[in-house]
Amino acid sequence: MRSSSNMSDHSGLTYTQALNNYLQLKEFPARELDMDEQQLLNTFHPDYRSETITTLNVGPNKGERCHTQLAELLQADSRIDASDLAGVRIEETDVLVIGGGGAGCAAALTAAESGARVILATKLRLGDSNTIMAEGGIQASVQKQDTLQAHYNDTWKAGYKLADKTLVKQLVTDGPETIRWLIQQGMQFDLDSAGDLLTRRAGGTSASRVVHFRDYTGLEMMRVLRESVYNHAAIEVRNYAPAVELLSNESGHCAGAILSSLEDSHFLQIKARTVIIATGGIGRLHLNDFPTSNHFGATGDGLVLAYRLGARLRDLDSFQYHPTGVAYPVHLSGTLITEGLRSAGAYIINAQGQRFVDELKPRDIVAAAIIRECREGRGVAEQDFRGVWLDTAGLENRNPGILQQRFPKLVQLGLKSRIDIRKHPMLIYPTLHYQNGGVIIDKNGQSTVPGLYCVGEVSGGIHGRNRLMGNALLEIISFGRKAGADAARQRQNRGHKKITLDHISRLRRELMQNHMPMQFSSPLLFPDYTRRAEADDDPEQPDHPGMFDL
Amino acid sequence: MSRPLSETQVSLTINGRPISAPQSLSVIQALWYAGYPRVKGVGCLEGVCGSCRVMVRRKGSTELSMELGCQLLIEEGMDVFFAVFDTPSHHHYQLSDIQSSWNVQTYFQSIFPEAEQCRHCHGCNAACPQDIDVETAVDLAVKGHFKECGDLFINCVMCDLCMTSCPEFIEPNHVGLFARRVSAYFDTRPSNLINRLEAIRSGQMQVITDDEEND
Repeated sequence: MRSSSNMSDHSGLTYTQALNNYLQLKEFPARELDMDEQQLLNTFHPDYRSETITTLNVGPNKGERCHTQLAELLQADSRIDASDLAGVRIEETDVLVIGGGGAGCAAALTAAESGARVILATKLRLGDSNTIMAEGGIQASVQKQDTLQAHYNDTWKAGYKLADKTLVKQLVTDGPETIRWLIQQGMQFDLDSAGDLLTRRAGGTSASRVVHFRDYTGLEMMRVLRESVYNHAAIEVRNYAPAVELLSNESGHCAGAILSSLEDSHFLQIKARTVIIATGGIGRLHLNDFPTSNHFGATGDGLVLAYRLGARLRDLDSFQYHPTGVAYPVHLSGTLITEGLRSAGAYIINAQGQRFVDELKPRDIVAAAIIRECREGRGVAEQDFRGVWLDTAGLENRNPGILQQRFPKLVQLGLKSRIDIRKHPMLIYPTLHYQNGGVIIDKNGQSTVPGLYCVGEVSGGIHGRNRLMGNALLEIISFGRKAGADAARQRQNRGHKKITLDHISRLRRELMQNHMPMQFSSPLLFPDYTRRAEADDDPEQPDHPGMFDL
Repeated sequence: MSRPLSETQVSLTINGRPISAPQSLSVIQALWYAGYPRVKGVGCLEGVCGSCRVMVRRKGSTELSMELGCQLLIEEGMDVFFAVFDTPSHHHYQLSDIQSSWNVQTYFQSIFPEAEQCRHCHGCNAACPQDIDVETAVDLAVKGHFKECGDLFINCVMCDLCMTSCPEFIEPNHVGLFARRVSAYFDTRPSNLINRLEAIRSGQMQVITDDEEND
């Protein structure tokens, strides 16, 4: 329910005026961007607003750039004290996976297949994740006209040549094998009449490479992986059990985690030979007051946990704003509309009825171009939302039936809000979508802390400073599997002698030495959307932090 | 044409609490708007994770319907209850236990013996917030038509409401998922993928990074 900042500063047309402009036009000729791309980014992309960037004062990335809102969490106090561990229930396992999305499931399944006992702990329910919402698809170079090298080059270029080459090479080489593994888990893909994988083209790429299942690719993947995890005898799932702190052993190896149950507010200590963090991204921090396409639980918890234990992070000032998030209806604000629509030929049109950018440019360019239209008064601007049109109706007009056939989820979503997107364009605005950076990892997903793996969006280095559509789903499965296999191998190591929370004392010492405020604690766990002022009038309003629900 | 939704305030009850919020909000947003920090039963907030199941009775109606709380816009006089409870499956299986596609039907019957007991009570169809013809799909699976059964479940978000409404404990959504999974497991063999895997395995196709070029 967040809306974009400083909305009142900007002028524009009303929804109704803009819709009438749109309806009067039949043709929407292509128009090139009339501004240098770098200048466009510098002026309009949220990453380039210097006032939102700060320098970290404590931890392994001390002295480096970081978004201010993320820095607040990385440099906050812990939620627990060593005394909280007295009398706490203790359980032991080989591999502890934190996070129940695609990366966590792939890691857990592979570790279990390799013979390890696994506990998978997740903040909400298994499968509640960004994975389940992924629509576009998963990149894998499978078509004749395409090569692994082309996939590598596209990914490398899109990330501004700042990605970790070794990781990118492994990612693209593992693409086809990743699809094979998913099929063996029971995942379906869209096939042509001969049974070959169908592909679509991602913005900023040189070949058609995104394999998919309708606009339900993530849902199909997640329901299959969840079923697979629940059916595996060696994996124990803990729902509603967010991790609030990691544990380490006498020599600084990660040795488990403290979970906090949302059911009974009790802590639980899990001792593990190795820990795999797969907690996803940060969308629900609403950086720069942007709406987000992310899942309710995407609050950057894994970054905080890993950083405290000493893991180095990278690119903490680089985020992806997906060009096409829902702007209206407001109750769906931020919800992602897949790039697949633009890939299929949908135009982006301003409130005056004009196109203004090649819709298949990389995401950061298209997002910045939309922000520019709105800021310069050529967008829709109402009190609680603003945006430009994504011309779903025009796409349907040129290709009758395409929306229901290929984008059924979106058609359904529109109808529930009394909008038939086959007849009516959708109002869109960029939405905070992805954390480009994260925990530095090696080819097995291992962080700079021994025994601690990080996979999926929480990790950094694979996408440089801009990610291509379809590379996230590939990353979570590919690196999830690598980490699961490697973590399982580590179970042969001798066990931990001593389990400590020494890193928390170290954190507090550092925070105090640097005169940092300590009134906040992290990880955040959940965003707060309640309107506190009004709720204070209600004597029955739950105020205990553990009491989240009615 | 103008904006389809207005900002009119409406009054309703959610979990027995009276709440007033703008008409453009979903049930979950209305709860937050009223100051209740609900967490359980909140998931993707875009209708695909099946987390926010609610029971709904509309003003003047005696009918109870099942919906998703993130997708349901509030209405005047609505009565809403969150259905937050675990619904673990009692069916356990491994695809790798099925020796060949000749054995799928027998295996299905051993894992889901209840499926052929369907009473055709329509409870599952009535409960499904995605309007899936669940009952027909279960029939198809019983007949061994797994591809056709699975196709009916394309829009399934695994909210488990069909499970809770089935008097025979069939767990129709897991039947549907089984049907979808066996179809992929045995039948999806794309030749473009297989050719590419072979090219990579044999070393015909590789990636060279700039660093390696310079070596």
